[in-house]
Amino acid sequence: MTRAIVGAVTVLIAALAYAPSVDAYLKLGTRIGTRIANLRFNTFPVRYFVTNRDVPGVTAPQLQQSVDRAFASWSAIPNTGVSAQFAGFTGTSPLNGDNANVIGFTTRADLDRVLGSTSFTVDTVSGEILEADIFLNSTFQWSAAAGGEPGRHDVESIALHEIGHLLGLGHSMLGETELAGGGRRVLGAEAVMFPIAFTAGTINRSPRADDIAGLSDIYGNDQFRKATGSISGRVTKNGAGVAGAHVVAFNPATGKLVATFTLSEDGAFVIAGLEPGLHLLRVEPLDDADAASFLETSFAVDTNFKVAFHNRILTVPRGATARDVNVAVVAK
Amino acid sequence: MIGVRGAAVLVSHGLTALVLLTRPCLAAAQPYAGSNGPHRGSVEVGGGVIRIGTYDAGSAQALLTTAGGAAPLTLFVVDGDVPAVIGAAVQAGIYLGRRVSIETSVHLTRPTLQSRQSSDFESASEVVAETTTSSYLVGASLLYHFGEGRLVPFVSGGAGYLRQLSEGNAEVIAGTEVHVGGGVKYWMGSGARRLALRLDAQASARDKLVAFEQKRRVLSSLGAGVTLRF
Repeated sequence: MTRAIVGAVTVLIAALAYAPSVDAYLKLGTRIGTRIANLRFNTFPVRYFVTNRDVPGVTAPQLQQSVDRAFASWSAIPNTGVSAQFAGFTGTSPLNGDNANVIGFTTRADLDRVLGSTSFTVDTVSGEILEADIFLNSTFQWSAAAGGEPGRHDVESIALHEIGHLLGLGHSMLGETELAGGGRRVLGAEAVMFPIAFTAGTINRSPRADDIAGLSDIYGNDQFRKATGSISGRVTKNGAGVAGAHVVAFNPATGKLVATFTLSEDGAFVIAGLEPGLHLLRVEPLDDADAASFLETSFAVDTNFKVAFHNRILTVPRGATARDVNVAVVAK
Repeated sequence: MIGVRGAAVLVSHGLTALVLLTRPCLAAAQPYAGSNGPHRGSVEVGGGVIRIGTYDAGSAQALLTTAGGAAPLTLFVVDGDVPAVIGAAVQAGIYLGRRVSIETSVHLTRPTLQSRQSSDFESASEVVAETTTSSYLVGASLLYHFGEGRLVPFVSGGAGYLRQLSEGNAEVIAGTEVHVGGGVKYWMGSGARRLALRLDAQASARDKLVAFEQKRRVLSSLGAGVTLRF
């Protein structure tokens, strides 16, 4: 069974993780001198072309329809203003630097574990995305069937993930995996931005709470920020910060999970876009995929600690932040 | 602000209803000179401690979606409860007749919501997390007393407005409450001003509480204190 990595974001610029004062989630950024700028589109709708190439199981029009639905899923997230518009079919392939956003199939047998990837051309002053291309690896078996097909990857599900990157989202670690067949098999995931795909045949076409919070963190308007709240604090071990810890906020009233990482050596984190109300925090080491698939950091990711819960129930205020939360963990 | 206005309306309606209900008794409840018992217009004020019983705050599971529509993966399980808590209660009432009175009351408590996280997929140790809230209940009740001796049983019923503030006042939960119950007053001394020991027991139905799951819950309420009538 193939264990494929979705969208390792082999991008023209690096996928950087960073922690400004009021941000959360892994977003794609580009280093500009000493600062890091968000990758984001500044104008909508995003106009995109689809490569006019059929592959077994998926015609170009079927790909376009799948991509259209995937964009619609992201556009349906309220208070973000995200939208997209199909501009037509094109004979060119993705990744060609033609100042057009192109999505299509490309044969990349050398990337035998990569289902798809997103690349960018950005304004290196502002971080604005000038062009973003998505290629889906036709080396794999694909399907556009409404209910999916056993043994074939659902093109809409993978397009949804890659479009998340296209809009500026990094990877989420809201999932559990096990080692299998020289790779990792997904046991469960609660984010379409989890970097490893479910087994072929699985449909995963709906952004989850974590994805919604992430996109809203990039594009959310004032209404979003007034209606939601944040948790900020540190993860510490023996009093020192833990870098690269995965921090998950759970709302028992809704069942929603939203997560982030500690993105500095002092163990600081911010989880934004949370619905007001009671939340519990769980902290775990980054051990369900390669750290490099999440973070490009100047610090060493610390995975030597036990999974732990915070010993306080936190109340997330509306339009404000529950601050100074300290989650203590112990070494394995 | 809306909540406070709502409370005032609720109490006002409550009092109106109580007065209407008791009107038939007024003719038989005329004050009479020399009596040690209450009469129309007698006032009672009192205070004491109150114990609000435990309640189940609900359960939840942190779930991850799995492949192919299989059962979700349980990341961990959460069970919430609020242990019994002791707080303060004050009342002020007025008799509409010898046996019937209306009173308003305020209960102040600091309940603690506890959450046990268990069954972690990655074997995290079980943890009981907590948060403490401030709870204010303003109520109005109708009381009917049986007799005028030293030991006077009574039954009561009414409604109230409940306001709970989370730690740091980050969130306000406001709801309504209705209660029924009874108790006894043990009067000491004699004369126009008398002191009594008072015991209350109530069932209190509340539509919103600090919890993981919102539903109407019935809590027990036990009170003990003193009351002064004049």
